[in-house]
Formats: sequence, C-alpha cells, structure tokens
Amino acid sequence: MTDRIKEQLSAFLDGELPDPESALLLKRLERDDDLRGALSRYSLIGAVLRSDGDVPAARQVAARVSAAIAREPSRVGRLARLVRRDSIGRTAAGLSVAAAVAFGAVLQVQQLTAGNANPPEAILAKAETPPVQAVTVDAATPDAPAESYVTPPAGDAPVGIPPAELANYLVAHYGYASPFVRRSVGADLVSDYDRSRVETAPPGDAPQP
Amino acid sequence: MNPRAATAILLGLAAAPALAESGQEWLTRMGAALNNSSYVGEFVCESAGRSERLAITYRVRDGVVSERLVSLSGSGRELVRENDEVVVYLPDRKLAIIERRWGRSDLLGALPNFEAGATPWYRVEWVGRETLEDFGPAAVVAVRPLDGYRFGYRLWIDLDTHLPVRSDLSDQNGRVVERLRFSRLRFDDGIPDSAFEPAVNRNRLRWVRQAPQDNDEAPSWRAAQVPPGFRLSTSSLQSVAGTGSPVSHLVYSDGLATISVFIQTPAPGKVPARGTTRSGVASAFSTVVDGHQVTAVGEVPPQALEYIATGLRPASPPAPAAAPNRRN
Repeated sequence: MTDRIKEQLSAFLDGELPDPESALLLKRLERDDDLRGALSRYSLIGAVLRSDGDVPAARQVAARVSAAIAREPSRVGRLARLVRRDSIGRTAAGLSVAAAVAFGAVLQVQQLTAGNANPPEAILAKAETPPVQAVTVDAATPDAPAESYVTPPAGDAPVGIPPAELANYLVAHYGYASPFVRRSVGADLVSDYDRSRVETAPPGDAPQP
Repeated sequence: MNPRAATAILLGLAAAPALAESGQEWLTRMGAALNNSSYVGEFVCESAGRSERLAITYRVRDGVVSERLVSLSGSGRELVRENDEVVVYLPDRKLAIIERRWGRSDLLGALPNFEAGATPWYRVEWVGRETLEDFGPAAVVAVRPLDGYRFGYRLWIDLDTHLPVRSDLSDQNGRVVERLRFSRLRFDDGIPDSAFEPAVNRNRLRWVRQAPQDNDEAPSWRAAQVPPGFRLSTSSLQSVAGTGSPVSHLVYSDGLATISVFIQTPAPGKVPARGTTRSGVASAFSTVVDGHQVTAVGEVPPQALEYIATGLRPASPPAPAAAPNRRN
C-alpha cells in the first residue's frame, strides 16, 4: 500500500477527502482486502483517540467495524453516501462512516439477541443466517465440491485468545477431540499458515444461545 | 406361481444386501479399521482461508498406537504420538510441547458406539455409494446434528480398507466448515520405528510438558449451563505451556463432540482475552469470570463455546481477598 493511499484513508476518516477521491477510495475498498484491513486499523487508532484511552472499548468498536466491513464490503459505500447526504458535517462524516458500519453491526447483533424467551435452537437458527460468507453445499447437491467454507466474521484487531496460546490449548484438547476430526485438529496444529491471521471476532458478534 | 411374481421375488432377494446397508454398520467397520490398521498416506485439509497438505504415518502394533503427522508445506511442524503421549514440534516457535494423559490411552482413536445410542444428539444416515477419483467406490455415511450446538459429519469410507478417505464437517444446515481428503493411502504392516522419528533438530527446542497435575486435587469450577446433551466427562488441574500456574481443565462431551474449558488466573498486567477465535476446525471463546480467564475450545459452533464459557462458576465461593494492610 502506498503512502498516498494511506494519506487518503486518513483524510477519508477525518472527513477531509474530496468527494471525487472519496468515491474512488470507496470503490477500491470494496475490492481490496488489505485496504479494508488498513481502514480497520485506522479506525482503531481513531477510536482510541476519541475514547480517552479506553483501549478495550475502542478495540471492540474497531473490531465490530472490521467485522462489518469484512461481511459486507459493498455496504461501506452505501453507508458513506447516506452519512454524507445527511450533512452532518465534513469532519464528522468520515468518522461517521465507521460509526455507521459499527452501528449496523450492533443492530444486527441486537436483532439476533432480542427476545431471550426464544428457545436456544430458534436463536441459533437465526444466528446462522447473516454473518457467514457464501457456502456452496446445499441439500440438493450435498456432494458438490465446496468453493468456499463457512467462516465467522474476521476482525483485523484480535480480541480473542492469541494464536500461540490457542495452539497450547489445542494440544491439551487434542486427545479429547472427536475421533472424526481429531486428525483435523492435529493438522491444524502442524499447519504453517499465518497464525497471526487466525480469525477473530469480538464478544457479542456471536449471539447468546 | 406366476412366473412374473417369481421373478419379482428373486429380484427382491437379489437387492436385499444393498438395502441392508446401514450407516451405523459402516461406522462400526470404520472404527474397527481405524483401531487395527497400519498405513501411510497423504491428505489435504481445507477450510476457510487455508488448504494444507500433510503426510500421515499410522501404526498399530501389539496394542500400541503410533502416529506421525507432518506438514508438507515446509514449516517443519510435526505431531508425533505414541499411545497417550503426544509431542507437537513447533520449530518456528523453537518449542516442543509434550502432552501426556496417564491411563487415558482409550481416548485416542475410540469411536462412540452409535448402535448403543451413545450419541442421541445425532442421526446416522446411510447416504449411498459414491465413486471417488483416487479411491474408487466408497460408502457415504452422514452423521447429522439435531440442533445448532454441534457440527455434523459426512464420511466417505473406502469399501476395501474401511478407512475414511474423505470427511466433511458441516453445520446444522449442511454447509461445509472443513473438508479432509486423502490423496494417497497405502496399508503397510511393516512400518519401522524410524518412521516416527521427527525430522526437526530436537536439541534446539525448548521442551514444555503439559500434563495433569500428579495429585488428587480437582478443579473447583463447574458449568452452570451446558448445551443439551453435553456432560462433564473429565476434569483435572494441568500445566499448559505459557502459563505460570496450573490451569483447570474441564472436558464436556455429547458422546461425539467435545469442549475443553480452561480456567486460569491471568498473569499480572496481562489484558484478558475476550471473544471468539477460529483456527481450522476448532474454535475458542474467551471471557472473564470472577477475575479468571476462561477459554472454551472445541470442534463445535462458537455459540456452544460461548454458552458454556459464560456459564462457568466457581464450585465453591472463592476465598475473600486479603484486606490491604493499613497503617495506623
């Protein structure tokens, strides 16, 4: 990512990026994973600055922003346009984009967790609908090769257990894992994929059963 | 007898064996094969964002199970197991973790008895036969979860070896979470001991032993709420790499899926983890209860982990904190 793009991101979040450039940046955000990750990080920095040093709270906000962006990148542009049309003010506008996305995420969670009188199964069924990425295997063609897999929303700011600690716990859990997937747990332990990118989500994104 | 009727009866008898195939029978055959076969092979593990190729060497000799898993992507990571002792070599962390469970060798490799109703929260279904490119005909069995607190499985069992050559882990709606596919599998009753020697330089590693504490002290924590069908199957205090004090380890099982809950006193100054982490087939949910870091880990949907972790309670009221000294 070039310094120019970083400056644009920063200006965008500060509400100081001209509209034509904002439009281009939003288009780029929709297709560039790295750029969305950078937006999450910048929003974390902004959230910390605005939260008088309340890092956990700011991190939660930023993680929700990140998760929401990861889920629906196209929504960034839509929300940005809505925010700008409301004429809240240029300075507030950029910040409000992140806030609006976060608000959207909170709304989703509230919708999912509303009505605790529901039986757990009912809530779980609802929970399975929105946060997952596209999946391929359906009842009609259960054996079709999967092109993508169910995954919880990814956050750029890890809030769950650090990857190294998770590996230590997985070693302890390995002997108890279901015999059907124990080999998969073992495979996960020896995999060399980038563990700094294990997927995390803040508390609250998973609905209470 | 009418010739047509006789033909129909004969055709019916001929078709009887195929109709008699059942998922439970195939799972029983698979369990026997897993417990008695020695083999070498390669498989691919696929889930969101990753695809990993691994080599496996598996031997059963005189009741001793030996296994070695090696990543083929060049990381040098390995897992070597002999009965109830597992060693994970992590050269990238300059670390080797030994995990040993005394007297629990039955844990590794044992399949639940589906026919005896040991897993009432799943429904075993015979799907049919399917020809796989690398292995030919396979029996396909589905183990479906009855609610959203556990994952389901679809298994492709080789007709000749009775070994599972492909397995899909899926959620309640049948959506694939992870897929494991063998690309090569060969029986070998003559696997030498040297095949289980790790390739990493063991002298350059820091060794950490994770094991239950050698005493009778049990964790003083219990789950106030667990997903339906899950029960406490074992608990212990144990050492875990990276922790200075013993960790309470509770294991809950529904007969097939398991959830490990770890409770520890957070290190001074360390920010407790909160939230969900996903790594391959397993997930973790961390929270803080009574000032303790609680982390639930398991091959179940994150909702089940959160449900159990947030319901953890001390079995007895914690001792009151010592009052600070006051100067008169």
